[in-house]
Order: sequence, then C-alpha cells, then structure tokens
Amino acid sequence: MQQDFEADFWKDAERRKIWDDIVPGEPRKTIPYTLTLEAIQRYCRAVGDLHPLYFDEEYARRSRYDGLIAPPSIHILLMFACIPADDWMRSPGTVNAGQSWSYNCPARPGDTITLQARALDKFIKRERLFVIHDNVFFNQQGDVICSGRGWTIRPM
Amino acid sequence: MSKFFDTLVAGYRIEGTEFGISRESIRAFCDASLDYNPLHIDDAYMTGSFGKTNFGGIIMHGMTNFGLITRMLTDWAYSENAVHRRLETRWLVPVKPDDTIRPHGSVKFKHVTAKSRWVVIDVEVRNQRDEQVVTGEALVEFPPDAAP
Repeated sequence: MQQDFEADFWKDAERRKIWDDIVPGEPRKTIPYTLTLEAIQRYCRAVGDLHPLYFDEEYARRSRYDGLIAPPSIHILLMFACIPADDWMRSPGTVNAGQSWSYNCPARPGDTITLQARALDKFIKRERLFVIHDNVFFNQQGDVICSGRGWTIRPM
Repeated sequence: MSKFFDTLVAGYRIEGTEFGISRESIRAFCDASLDYNPLHIDDAYMTGSFGKTNFGGIIMHGMTNFGLITRMLTDWAYSENAVHRRLETRWLVPVKPDDTIRPHGSVKFKHVTAKSRWVVIDVEVRNQRDEQVVTGEALVEFPPDAAP
C-alpha cells in the first residue's frame, strides 16, 4: 500500500461533496502522482497480468516500447492516486455503473502523472443519483496517456 | 505490414484467462488500485440496502473486470503488433468471493480509415454460472507501418 494514503474512506466522508453539491463542468482538485515500477507491478499481480512488458526490463527494451511500461488499465490506480482524500470519488457507497476509456500512449515507471477531471453531467434515473465523470491523464511531457468517462451511482 | 489483420473475420474469438475471486483477491485489488470503498471491505456495511439493491456481503471491484478484459486484449494485441485503443464496459451483475470469472471477445467488424486499420470487438465477462456479468466493446488498432 502507498505510505501516505488514507485507506479509511469514512474518515473524510463529511468533507466530501454529495450529489446535490456537484457542479458539472467545475474542475476537480487533483494531485500529481509519481508512478513507480512497484505500484505498476502490484496492480498487474492483482489482475494476474505478468506480461514481460511490465516485468522483464530486457524484453521490454528490445520491444517497440523501448522499455518497461504500465498496462493501459493502470488508470484504475491513477484515478485514486491523483485525487485528494476529500474527493467524492472516495465516498463510501459510490457504485461504478460503467466506464469508457481511450488510450494514447503508455504510462511508464517514473512518470509524474497529472489528472484533469470534472463531473460532466448529473441526472436522476429510476430513483438513483448518477454522475458522469470526465477524466484525462497526462505524463510529465504533457502527452495524453488516456482519457475516460465513468458513470457512477452516488450514495444516498 | 502484418497480414493478420487481413485474415480477421467477424466472429473471430479471443479468449481470456479464468480468474478466481476471493476475499484475498479483492483485498489485493484494494491495495493495487487504492480503492478502499467499504463495498469491497466491510461485510457489516454491505448487509444494508443501496436504494433497491442489497448485495448481502462484499462485492468485487467492477474495475477488476475491466482489468481482466484489458489483459485479454493486450495479450492478443501485443502478440500481433497491434495497439489496444479503447474499452467501454457496463456492469450487469455483481461478482462476489468464490465466484470465478472469465473474459471473452468476438470480432464485430473491421474498419480502415485514412491512416490506420481498426478492429471493433464485442467483449463480455461470464461467471461460473455462465451469467453475463459485464458487457462492452473494444477497439484495437493495427497500424499499417507496424513491423511484421
């Protein structure tokens, strides 16, 4: 686990915006995150993905990626790593309803990742409170790593 | 130029690897994703109701499905010098400890644009009861200049 990460999602629950407070279009506060090889490999192991592009430096250097990379789905980690403790993505009971992501270039160990994020839309359907999230991750060169949209059901 | 793209036809199957879910695998995903939502940790919390839904215990992160589908697609794409470009998913059924899930893919159609070649793939994840737990669509690029 990351050293300074608060794993108790209840702790800052009172400080987080609820559905009523969320303003679509308003940028969310985000924090830069240095992606380590250790974090990449911990994620890979959690989904049983031991591809040599993520684990074998020699293999990766000879590949067309010219070095170790992270799998495209590393944004699953980056989403939580790049937001502060009072962000509403951490609200207990947030249910993921769907996701769509586009991939441009791979994240790499040592990259400093930044996130631009906002709610894009919010609506009520079948007595449930939905928010559509809009997220773009960049590396330290300003290249887009990936961009994605998520649908969550907000806790009542 | 890779000839594999030319040989691909609609209905071509891509098979993922079976993955067993346990309380430990869910906890490992918490540590890997930093997603410690009590949905995935706290059984007492999960005995409550979420609107009309009651899960009756902790559930797997929906994004574990996403990661497993990605693994299936990248294993396939890397081996053919192709690039995984997009994945869209919708969760249908929650996955719980002791479930076993497996992703599958099926080529829907191919498309050639001004600068590249693309394959659209229907993806799904099924559990041990053969229930569809996730459905979605992926896009894989076969760049024309990729080394064979």
